Amino acid sequence: MRLGILGVALGLIGMAAPVVAHHGFDTEYDAKKRVKLAGTVTEVAWTNPHMRVYIDVAGPDGKVTNWNMELTSPNSIRRQGWGPNDLKKGDKVVFEGFGGLVVESRGSLMYIAKAETPDKPLFTQGGPDGQQAPLPTP
Amino acid sequence: MRRLSIIAITVVGVAGVVYAQGRGGGNQGVQTDGGVRYINPGSPTVSDAEATSRPIPRLPDGRVDLTGPWIGGGSNGDIERDGGLKPGELPLLPWARELRDKRLAKDEPYTACLPMSVPRVNPYPWKFAMSYTSRGLSHIYVLHETGDAGAHRVVYMDGRKHPPKDEWVPNWWGHSIGHWEGDTLVIDTVGYNDKFWFDSRGTPHTEQLHTIERWTRISWGRMVNEFTLDDPGAFSKPVTLKFTARLLRPDPETGIGDLMEFICLEDNQYGRAGGLQGIGSGTSNQR
Repeated sequence: MRLGILGVALGLIGMAAPVVAHHGFDTEYDAKKRVKLAGTVTEVAWTNPHMRVYIDVAGPDGKVTNWNMELTSPNSIRRQGWGPNDLKKGDKVVFEGFGGLVVESRGSLMYIAKAETPDKPLFTQGGPDGQQAPLPTP
Repeated sequence: MRRLSIIAITVVGVAGVVYAQGRGGGNQGVQTDGGVRYINPGSPTVSDAEATSRPIPRLPDGRVDLTGPWIGGGSNGDIERDGGLKPGELPLLPWARELRDKRLAKDEPYTACLPMSVPRVNPYPWKFAMSYTSRGLSHIYVLHETGDAGAHRVVYMDGRKHPPKDEWVPNWWGHSIGHWEGDTLVIDTVGYNDKFWFDSRGTPHTEQLHTIERWTRISWGRMVNEFTLDDPGAFSKPVTLKFTARLLRPDPETGIGDLMEFICLEDNQYGRAGGLQGIGSGTSNQR
């Protein structure tokens, strides 16, 4: 039941999603590869065409993988009020997203929050449904 | 499990807020909760409720001010759907329909940061920059925040005609001449190349493409683009699509709504998560 609620929540995130994307979801990411991880930010890249957050994640065997999580364009994010002080190298975070079709650690970021406040997202973004959504109409 | 539920409920709330924002909600696209900002991708625009709250502005010469910046007036995903047609109504010739259906997203030019051209570029922030000289309005430069690969589109307003067809050198934005019909800006364009896709669905065209855009600011916050597409090489008849642009919401802190820098080739990693090689030219290839 609770998982059901989470599912509804994530579905709504899909509705809320980004109405304009640089490219489609399916050519890069796998909707079946949902990930929910915790780690340490190694870089917040305010780059075009899309921002990326790089996060070191330790696996069960202690091996560290640097996840490369894609957001949307930095301009869109700046217009929504996010700035360079909102997330920095060294921050401990929890995040969710979808893994890459072939390179799993190149992911699409859906949700990220500081580890100490996991229920307060810094960023939310849609998954495959959201990125295919039509443009808003008046 | 309790924490999962809390997260779920929180996320539902956030999703609702963000959904409203995506539709032009009135909270300027930023929601705070304990100082933490929730972000939804896409740029905020003036809401429906505010769209008619101010008069349509005019320039010093009395012309309606179409400057913007705007978001919308075209379609990134599907010109048939977003242009107001029913599925299958876009009058593509059989070869063009077949090509559209077999095109793969990985092959589309825009993912290599090439121009989107008309009307696909419009869903991203853009503006009409009026260029006045001693002879009045001589050119309109159409500036796009993204989707133009650093190019600028020129609309000649000085009364010139299109060059003779045998002198065309087909290019991404074609040759555009404009004139006013009342408060409507009419832009007539020929000389396009056939390289760009009309939408991510892969809708094609040929170098015979001729477009007529009729831009009318219907309120402070909205502008309509009646887009007539005539391409006997790929379509069985001309078709008119209708799109609506929304005024970009001014920045909540600075009060300024303006275009920002966007250099698509800076770190284009498109395709690498899916195992594609040789696409983009980013600096992070090895990661």
